[in-house]
Amino acid sequence: MELFIRSVRALSVFFGIVAAASLVAAILVVCQMVVMRYFLQASTVWQTEFVTFSIVGATFIGSPYVLLTKGHVNVDLLPLYLSQRIRKALALFVSVLAFLVCVVLAWTGWKYFHEAWAGGWRTDTVWSLPLWIPILPLPLGMALLSLQYAADICCLATDREPPFGIQPKEEGE
Amino acid sequence: MTPLVIGLLIGIVTIIVLTSGIPIAFGLALVAVVFLVGFGGLDSLGILAETFLGGISHFSLVSIPMFILMGAAVAASPAGRDLYEALDRWLTRVPGGIVISNLGACSIFAALSGSSPATCAAIGKMGIPEMLKRGFPASLATGAIAAGGTLGILIPPSITMIVYGIATETSIGRLFLAGVFPGIMLTVLFICWALFLAWHKGYQFGEVAARRFSLREKFEVLPRVLPFFLIILGILYVLYGGVATPSEAAGVGAMFCLIMAAVIYRIWQPRRIWEIFHTSTRESVMIMMIIAASELYSYTLSSLYVTQSMAEWIAALEVNRWVLMGIINLFLLIAGFFLPPVAVILMTAPILLPIITQAGFDPYWFAVILTVNMEIGLITPPVGLNLYVINSIAPDIKLPTILWGALPFMLCMVLGIVLLCVFPEIVTWLPDKLMGPEK
Repeated sequence: MELFIRSVRALSVFFGIVAAASLVAAILVVCQMVVMRYFLQASTVWQTEFVTFSIVGATFIGSPYVLLTKGHVNVDLLPLYLSQRIRKALALFVSVLAFLVCVVLAWTGWKYFHEAWAGGWRTDTVWSLPLWIPILPLPLGMALLSLQYAADICCLATDREPPFGIQPKEEGE
Repeated sequence: MTPLVIGLLIGIVTIIVLTSGIPIAFGLALVAVVFLVGFGGLDSLGILAETFLGGISHFSLVSIPMFILMGAAVAASPAGRDLYEALDRWLTRVPGGIVISNLGACSIFAALSGSSPATCAAIGKMGIPEMLKRGFPASLATGAIAAGGTLGILIPPSITMIVYGIATETSIGRLFLAGVFPGIMLTVLFICWALFLAWHKGYQFGEVAARRFSLREKFEVLPRVLPFFLIILGILYVLYGGVATPSEAAGVGAMFCLIMAAVIYRIWQPRRIWEIFHTSTRESVMIMMIIAASELYSYTLSSLYVTQSMAEWIAALEVNRWVLMGIINLFLLIAGFFLPPVAVILMTAPILLPIITQAGFDPYWFAVILTVNMEIGLITPPVGLNLYVINSIAPDIKLPTILWGALPFMLCMVLGIVLLCVFPEIVTWLPDKLMGPEK
């Protein structure tokens, strides 16, 4: 199990870096686009789509990393007031639900990707990008997210991590 | 089941799901999936991926990560310290100048960083000890900073305004302009209250000028601060000149801020650069996931005719429009106590907007009202993020003290909302002047 948790975490971190990199790419391309359009009076073909899709990609691909670093905001008011045992049960229940949502999204995302791939769909712009490219991060990201949730559930169940990231000593507050 | 009953059911289930502590993005997606399948069968899942992906595939959304990155670059640099110092040096002889420099620094820094907690941390770290040193009560010093930090979501460029613009298909440029005067108005209200309270508690303003700054000292701080001013002005100019779209302005602004952080503050070490990208990736992924999930959520609401029937039902009630506005305000206020601004806007804007426009309110004016409500939520428990940030940077001051200090500022915001209701021109004048009346 240790190996599973470790490798999932490594994957999440790796794709987190990929997400940050596509954010950087997006900024560079936006600036390039501005220079092309306003200073060189040239028309831009691929930049708008590239930037939009790299941000979309970064969102899905980066999502497991954000989960790993507890960056997806939640309302932790109720968990704060619960006893440690019930809090753990709730955390497990909630994580399983979120895991299921991610699985559903990954699965429907995969079907969507496959349709686009098999149908040879393209974006209806001059660039005419094959549509499976921007869709790919959805099933990939959500599958990784499901894995990260599975790893989190393992950590919770084996008390490697406190539920909701709330340390037991904070309970008095 | 009528759409209204379904709507009520969705509302209750959403509250239960979100209270459970599930991340907001997955909670919204969960509610959407359950209701879609529950009422439409498994076939309705076919549209899921496309809606989820489509929710964030807009070029205008690119401005969100860009502005976040810009804010992260500014927050990582000691720009907040310089800003504070500059204002302090210029205003130190003015009675109560320290309050003005603190709140002024808060509003400018909040505009640049777009983040309330970052503003509280950056300005509060210098401002709170300084105000305490000059004899201001702890509650006032901390309350002022907590309130000042909330201005970031109102003063442009503001991420919540972008989110509102996207959720309601209104002009982001116009929304930004709409926030300018209300932002200044709130800053002035905060300053007035702080000065009044200090005077009321017998604070001696005459003795404030502990130290005189020479003209040279006053001017030497400017070069490090002015570029950031210019960036804000540049972004606003570019947007209203119709020169570029918000995403382009944000991208170039982010680039400039990164360069400036590297040149002026020498932040170029890989570790510190990574820190900037790490925080901005986290933050923007989190927000974009909520946006994607709320697209599913609002798709569910409208495919079950909840959105439409709600608007019809409320119109049929024929309540006075101001009573309606009062109820909506109360609702937003309560939602803001528990949820982050972006989530509240995304979940409620698609439902509220038709109701609002039907009642004859201006959508831009409403955006400002909504945002001020969200600001109040940032300094009120149980979530009140800013209070905890201040608690962590000024650990000697107890949380209840901060809370009591922030309470009057909250009332200032309520007063602000009332003023905006009486004088809607505070919101609409600038956009009308610069962009022409709304079509």
